[in-house]
Amino acid sequence: MEEAGNRIGRVTRCNIRGFSGGTRLAQADVPTFGTFCKAPAQQGKVDVIGIVYGISIEDDELARQLAASDSALPEAYADNQFVRPVPIEIQALSVGYHEDGRYLQMLPPQPPLTLADIVPLSPGEVRAFTERLDFLRIIHGSMEVPSDDLISATLRQAANARPALEQRNFLVAAGRECARLMAADLTRLESLLRAIQFTPS
Amino acid sequence: MSLDLPQVLPQVGELSQHTQRRLAHKAELLPSAVGEFHRWPEREPLELAEKLKRLGAAWHGPLPTEEAPGQVFPPPPLPPRLHLLGADGSQIYPDRHAYALFYLINIGSLHLTHGSGETPRASSFPILGFRDEDLYDENEHPVDISVIHGRRDLGELQELARLAETNDGEPTLALVDNGLLLWLALQERDRSRREGARLLADYLRAMDHVRQSGAALAGYIDQPGSADVLALLHLASLPMDSVSEATIRSNPFRLLSDADLFGGCLPPGHRSARFIASPALNLEYARKGHQIQFFYVHTGFQDRIARVEIPAWVGDHPEALGWVHAGLLEECRVTGFPYVLVRAHELAVVDQGDRKALDDLLAASLAREGLLPRTSQKAETKKWTGQRRRHRL
Repeated sequence: MEEAGNRIGRVTRCNIRGFSGGTRLAQADVPTFGTFCKAPAQQGKVDVIGIVYGISIEDDELARQLAASDSALPEAYADNQFVRPVPIEIQALSVGYHEDGRYLQMLPPQPPLTLADIVPLSPGEVRAFTERLDFLRIIHGSMEVPSDDLISATLRQAANARPALEQRNFLVAAGRECARLMAADLTRLESLLRAIQFTPS
Repeated sequence: MSLDLPQVLPQVGELSQHTQRRLAHKAELLPSAVGEFHRWPEREPLELAEKLKRLGAAWHGPLPTEEAPGQVFPPPPLPPRLHLLGADGSQIYPDRHAYALFYLINIGSLHLTHGSGETPRASSFPILGFRDEDLYDENEHPVDISVIHGRRDLGELQELARLAETNDGEPTLALVDNGLLLWLALQERDRSRREGARLLADYLRAMDHVRQSGAALAGYIDQPGSADVLALLHLASLPMDSVSEATIRSNPFRLLSDADLFGGCLPPGHRSARFIASPALNLEYARKGHQIQFFYVHTGFQDRIARVEIPAWVGDHPEALGWVHAGLLEECRVTGFPYVLVRAHELAVVDQGDRKALDDLLAASLAREGLLPRTSQKAETKKWTGQRRRHRL
């Protein structure tokens, strides 16, 4: 519970392959596509590692009333854009878990518990988890996610979690892993490699 | 779903027919009430004063102010910059079937500065009551729910006082989603109890703070059901020689509410005259300089009529009264209910998910103290039957 301040949702539905969470967040705090996150499972012994692949902002009657109004209410608009938490639902694909101080890149033994806090991984945790790239196989093999876009978003986030000098090497290694996964589909591979191309900042 | 809809259906039909008959009856009564209201300015004000004097303590209704009761007032200009403060509270009642005995009050507030374009400031804070003095009265009985409501109302007003004190004398309107006298039902019942007296003293002290800050304070009542002005209208329409306790009770307009009356009398954006709330309830407030007055306003949104309660120090101050009137119209323009109160409620409300998270937090905390968190067996069985399952073959 000490991480509730970073919480991006609470688990509302889950299975071994992934979990969904609902919450209300100010727009600035809404997670982005490809964010690494975790949620506890097995009475907190395990953290299931997920990657956000779906973000939907749920229907909100108050925002609809404001949008339909002919007259401007700048303070109310600012309230809704920057202060008022919007009801969001996120979907995350399970790509591994953390147990006894080590990361395993395979489906977790159990899904997280209902209402478990979903929190983003810190840059250090992202680096540690992405030391190995076996999780790309899980994304690639998943039918329910836009896998190519998710792989590229995830790899860019993982590269950004590293010091500038390590980013290029990481992306080259990731590109090689993608080449192994997509050897049978060179068109897809080409577009994915273009998406993760290293651009020094 | 355990409600047997086919069984309740005939009763729902009867309810609809009853509602239709009641509305038809009200529609028949309304023109004569509106007619009486429009004749009010023709009546001699001293005559009403004489009738009230004759009734003395037998009169439990409102009193007129210096504004003629039949007068209506157009919307005043909105200050170019107006601080709007809203506070609202919600609560979880003590439950002896829970892991531990406690109650929770959660206060939400929003501070929006109209005309600034600035992002409003939102806050919410929870208060957990679990000590003996929180949960039991001086006779060691569990505290009444009305005491918890009183503490919640006090929390709302203290939050408004806190926000109002930050405004450096700029025009400010502080709003609660309730009448300012509503919780006095508690005081009436608990007059002899120390907790009632303490709550009242703290409440009036918070009103002092709002007043000292220079802010206007108002309680907003949506869809009001009271018929105070109709009672006064009935009294005004009685011939002097037939004024008695019996005749004031036989009010021909008793099926109507003041909202019905003003729905037929107030143009959009206009307000009624101010009235002094029933003296019986108002006495302690007046003694501390916070006599409560009220008026009705047509919010301009779908012909809605609201009742607005204000302390006399707002009602007697034309500029502050203008902030209340114009500020409420501005706040209701889009949402039909003051925006700051919509948001304060949203910030205060404790939903089922929050309740479950609080219970989990408490269970974990108790476990850390070496206690086995247990609910009652009744609560446990409710969990079993309350969760719907999908059975798959």
